[in-house]
Amino acid sequence: MTAGSGALRLDGVSFAVGERCLVEDVSLEVRPGEMLGLLGPNGAGKSTLLRTIYRMNRPSAGTVEVDGENVWQKPAAWVARRVGAVLQDMPGDFPLTVRDVVAMGRSAHKKILEPDTEYDHALIDAAIALLDLEAFETRAFRTLSGGERQRALVARALVQQPSLLVLDEPTNHLDIYHQLHLLQFVRELGITVVAALHDLNLAAMFCDRLCVLNEGRIAAIGTPDAVLTPDLLSEVYRIEASVGVHPKRGTVWVVPG
Amino acid sequence: MHGSVPDPQKSREALLAILQSAPPAPVERRLPGWAVLKRRTGLARGAGGYGLVILLMAAFLLLLLSIAGLMFGSVHIEAGTAVSILLNAVTGDWLISPTWREVHETIILQTRVPRVLLAGCVGATLAVTGMTIQAIVRNPLAGPSILGVSSGAATGAVIVMRWGLLGLGAFTLHISAFLGALATLGIVFWVARTGGQMTPTRLVLAGIAMSSVLSALTSLLVLTSPDPQLASRVLFWTLGGFGSAQWKLLPLPAIALLAGLVIALLQARRLNLLMAGDESAVALGLDVHRFRQAMFVLAAALTGITVSVAGVIGFVGLIMPHIVRFMVGADHRRALPAVALMGASFTIGADLVARTIISPLELPVGIITALVGGPFFIWLLRRDAKGQGSAK
Repeated sequence: MTAGSGALRLDGVSFAVGERCLVEDVSLEVRPGEMLGLLGPNGAGKSTLLRTIYRMNRPSAGTVEVDGENVWQKPAAWVARRVGAVLQDMPGDFPLTVRDVVAMGRSAHKKILEPDTEYDHALIDAAIALLDLEAFETRAFRTLSGGERQRALVARALVQQPSLLVLDEPTNHLDIYHQLHLLQFVRELGITVVAALHDLNLAAMFCDRLCVLNEGRIAAIGTPDAVLTPDLLSEVYRIEASVGVHPKRGTVWVVPG
Repeated sequence: MHGSVPDPQKSREALLAILQSAPPAPVERRLPGWAVLKRRTGLARGAGGYGLVILLMAAFLLLLLSIAGLMFGSVHIEAGTAVSILLNAVTGDWLISPTWREVHETIILQTRVPRVLLAGCVGATLAVTGMTIQAIVRNPLAGPSILGVSSGAATGAVIVMRWGLLGLGAFTLHISAFLGALATLGIVFWVARTGGQMTPTRLVLAGIAMSSVLSALTSLLVLTSPDPQLASRVLFWTLGGFGSAQWKLLPLPAIALLAGLVIALLQARRLNLLMAGDESAVALGLDVHRFRQAMFVLAAALTGITVSVAGVIGFVGLIMPHIVRFMVGADHRRALPAVALMGASFTIGADLVARTIISPLELPVGIITALVGGPFFIWLLRRDAKGQGSAK
């Protein structure tokens, strides 16, 4: 059961560290169930912007609203029951097992001293099975490969039962097979998804809309074929690219050169 | 998700349905069966599922060491006699009639029982504190003594003694030890975090630097003091010991242990989140800054109280959490009770060695824990270095 509808609204969000403005005046809206791809070159502010959604970065200006509520005026646990974040990695200083890590996703749903119930264990089991982590369940998280860790972090976000899933470059440790399957998987969850992605073609294949960030500002936002134009790619990524149509899927298709 | 699985869609829908299901309506409360209890307490899971067995074994070890602690010393008393005296004192004459010499009863009840209890309380508190500190600084190489927190508490206590400041009544010493510990922990954390990221190396180095400064400060205070007795009294704080154990000294450390353990257990889930790093903890719904501050105060209070009653006893808070995590896993809900038992066993054992090895003289117990803990710490560093070398 998910709390809320997963509607996301950023209104004039800026985030500055000292004098440097990493994200500047970003406004966008994501409808419930929609999948938005966040694109942009390295250092464009993708991760910084995502952090304002899951309450890691407090915007220096503007508001972030989930289900119509400002996330900074709600307790952290309230946000964690609605927003699941799949981070790039997690430090492995302690010998936490994969099951320990996945089980952490339930924390925001638990009252003080409330033990893990049969229901919690069923959710954890299901998430572990869905991400094919059964074989690693009792292994130490830090001994897994990058791709396996990433899957464990997806499972952790799923047991939060979020209505909005935020993914920060979820495919960067994965081979092409797992990239495709992960994106297909989150797409089919039917909840709102905001994902920072590097691969333009994958983004075009799976996302309803794309938002391109450049130097902390929105350079373009809209459907993939409206956004991924040779002009924009040359302006933002400084590459020359040809844009065509995917022969089978009919989605927009980018090839350098 | 995996290529080798022939049918990745096997029960995808069913699994997704489980994930999206609503929690069951609260059912009528009844006593859960053993299987449910085992699962709910997490005892059936992790670290091979031997959580409860290990806990019982740790409790048994503590019992054995406590009895040994009553038996040995300058006067040897048989285990049977020691236990009989204890039972007699608790239940009265109707169960066991006294057949022992009165001097033995006095030794057991007035010297050794309080001593074993004090050692147990202090050891358990140090171990719980160590485990908490390791979680809040997200560094398994941390501990109250490594980070200089114990030295800070000792310096706080010495300042009070040096100038005889007793303005706050009977608890002045404890309060100043707490303040010393809190200030040190704050400074070490602040230094290690400068520049955003906090690395284990910076943290440990900051702790070592603070320890050096604080022990120099303590020496300075002692050497410039007009009171010639101060040096010998301060030595007690720098090496630690339970020689001063008396019944009237016990309530404070006992309350500290109970309160500390209960608070840490109440926050066990949140402590777990801290192990996953700040960003994960925030994403999972923890107000990291506020929680960490609260836990800092707890850790400093516990360290301050143990130091003010037993001096600086190093390495207990560092090594016990490692041994316990190896046995029952890192989940604080299981690890905290186990670490309290193991910490108590360790200091009772160390105290036993300290007062029997050159009997009738006594060694400060801090020497024993350092002799055991120092090499263990070095071994941990070696193992970590190797692990990182192969992982990257």
